[in-house]
Amino acid sequence: MKVLLLGFGAVGQAFARLIERRRADLYARHALSPSLVGVVDSRGAAADPRGLDVEALLEAKRRGGTVAALAAHGVHGVSVEAFIVESEAQVVVEATPTSVAAPGAALARLKAAFRGGKHVVCVNKGPLAVAFPALLELARHNRVAFRFSGTVGGGTPVLALAQECVRGDRVLSARAVLNGTTNFILWRMDRHGEDYDAALAEAVRLGYAETDPSADVDGIDSATKLVILANGVLGHPCVLGDVAVTGIRGVTREHVLAAREQGQVVRLVAELDGGLSVAPREIPADSPLHVPANLNALSLTLETGGEVALVGRGAGGPETATAILRDLIDIWHAIGSPR
Amino acid sequence: MKLVMKFGGSSLADADRMRHCAALVRSRVAKHQVAVVVSAMDGVTEELLALADAAAAGTRAVAEAHLAALRRGHEEAAAALGEPGRVRELLDELDRLAGGIAAVGELTPRSRDAVLAFGERLATALFHRALTSAGVKARAFDGGEAGLVTDDRFGDAEPLVELSLYQVAETLGPLIAAGEVPVITGFIAATQHGVTTTLGRGGSDYTATLVGAALGADEIWIWSDVDGLMSADPRIVPGARRLERISFSEAVEMAQFGAKAMHPRALEPAAERGVPVRIRNTFRPEGEGTLIAREGDAPDGIVRSVHVVHDSGMILVTGAGMIGRVGTAARVFEALGEHGINIRMISQSASEAAISIAVGAGQLEAARAALEARLLRTGHARRVLVEPEVAIVAAVGAGMRGTRGVAARVFGAVAARGINVIAIAQGSSELSISFAVGRDAGPDAARALHDEFGLAKG
Repeated sequence: MKVLLLGFGAVGQAFARLIERRRADLYARHALSPSLVGVVDSRGAAADPRGLDVEALLEAKRRGGTVAALAAHGVHGVSVEAFIVESEAQVVVEATPTSVAAPGAALARLKAAFRGGKHVVCVNKGPLAVAFPALLELARHNRVAFRFSGTVGGGTPVLALAQECVRGDRVLSARAVLNGTTNFILWRMDRHGEDYDAALAEAVRLGYAETDPSADVDGIDSATKLVILANGVLGHPCVLGDVAVTGIRGVTREHVLAAREQGQVVRLVAELDGGLSVAPREIPADSPLHVPANLNALSLTLETGGEVALVGRGAGGPETATAILRDLIDIWHAIGSPR
Repeated sequence: MKLVMKFGGSSLADADRMRHCAALVRSRVAKHQVAVVVSAMDGVTEELLALADAAAAGTRAVAEAHLAALRRGHEEAAAALGEPGRVRELLDELDRLAGGIAAVGELTPRSRDAVLAFGERLATALFHRALTSAGVKARAFDGGEAGLVTDDRFGDAEPLVELSLYQVAETLGPLIAAGEVPVITGFIAATQHGVTTTLGRGGSDYTATLVGAALGADEIWIWSDVDGLMSADPRIVPGARRLERISFSEAVEMAQFGAKAMHPRALEPAAERGVPVRIRNTFRPEGEGTLIAREGDAPDGIVRSVHVVHDSGMILVTGAGMIGRVGTAARVFEALGEHGINIRMISQSASEAAISIAVGAGQLEAARAALEARLLRTGHARRVLVEPEVAIVAAVGAGMRGTRGVAARVFGAVAARGINVIAIAQGSSELSISFAVGRDAGPDAARALHDEFGLAKG
């Protein structure tokens, strides 16, 4: 199966390594041998219809800062959209970093992939946050598969669990902790009695938070994931603007400690219950959403089945790479063997 | 308010009419955000089709005559609007396209769409000029440029609605927020690969409602040459009056019965997003027109309008053998469907001994032949009877739903005029009752219903 990888940062590189490491296993269990026929990063591209060598790609990226530095196969200054349409790949993996403020470029890449008749695995939340129904329509129109399980929960199959739940039951409400960074900060404030700034600094030090943490701490990342969960699985059409969002900048140590007195903890909770919201909320200490460190959690209330919950690691390059692989295998089985 | 205004046809007959319409836009831009959708000038689409056919047929003299006529009409308008060169490039492009078609000697649906698109492209260029010279800050867009994407069924392309709405909002939203007026070609769009397509049914009105839905408009104004939708055709019912407000479902129902309204397909995007549509008259712009809105917003009233579909014929298929026999109706419809016959009305009694079908008079004989071949020959029915001179009368109104005694009033009023009813049909949506009467009794039956339900009164 020929794959074109867009984005060669932490996630993209982890994915390239993962398919190498799992090669024998994928072949044995799924008769699947993925081959990277193209890789695009922010500065250039590399292509080889017979498959690029992953070690050489990583080396080029490390030394030259771009895959375009790869000998013989690297190209600078390529028009990405044309490159996608013309690629021999059957599947395009969109793994560039999410930018909710400016999803235009990623959206244009996805449109090019669909237009070119390619299946798509997307772990970039930006385009889904703003144009989810349009993307589903475009995939259907071009009769290609569109998978995005890595956008929510990273390696933890949050969407898949929800999908299974809605198959035979009805989801009355969904509540979730979908952002590891803010969970880490609130956990530190609770556990170590730190104030917000100290907990944030620790998150930055450990690499959980970006130097500009606003997408996380302002709740945008959580809201984006909630939109994907609502649209993609729960049958609730919406866009980012429909979510009432409050971040955690205003959460004080006093607030957290006062909640603890009551047997509660403060967490940034994304909620679909009639309306859509993301806000710091007090939850019981024995709630399934009360998870430590940078974990994610999902709790669904089903009409018949009652409460169903899932806890796992939300982010991280290697974790998200496994989600991409999961989707790739899914597409491989969905389309049958290539013509 | 956010408004989408659509102009076309006789409203854009010449430069004077364009200036008039531009003034209608200008009078709103101070207070409102406005987007404009423009369809081809009067008669231009027909001229373009003739040009395309002539080019493909290799009749150069004819093609050149059509080109010259198109050139004359648009260049005159351009000159009158103070910019003689405004459409020259487009006309030259059309000339080259026609030349290309002539060279190939074949008119593909794709190239036909490319030719047809010039009607709207030319009108949009001119209307843009009319707006800017009236001091309105405006920018012209092709449907595709504005973000409308369709499949590649040339001639009757289906929009990718979600994608189109998203893209139109992205392209035009910031523009109108900044007070600029986008002027968009109606009727035409593009495939995802950027090839020009046309929307077919619903045409420019469809563009207007898609743009309105995308922008979250407060109202979509379809400017035409009628005062609005009427309670009946005034040529038949002298007391007919303009309807102030109707629901989307009523408008769709009326369109089925031939009311000079919008194509149901064009109403869809507006109905789905709840954006009201107003039909207005450029020749009497002070009028309020007819507002088509969500059901709850329409006023009370059992029957809202009465329609007559002339030139119909009835076919009665009978036979005791049909009773309790599964698949008879399927055979009837298959036979008619295979011959491309459009069914206007169907009625079957619960006894199952007969099915009556109304079709257009022009298709009556074909329908008879098809049914005879399919049902008589095989013994599935006994007789196929034809009643050639029939009119279908319909009463439309959402208020009929669940109201008792409507049928009694309808048929009482018709009976009081001594009119015999041949067949009756009412769908379970109860939005309309339709029935067939003798051809000459149609108008009288319509007047009877119009009176019975007091539609002439305000």
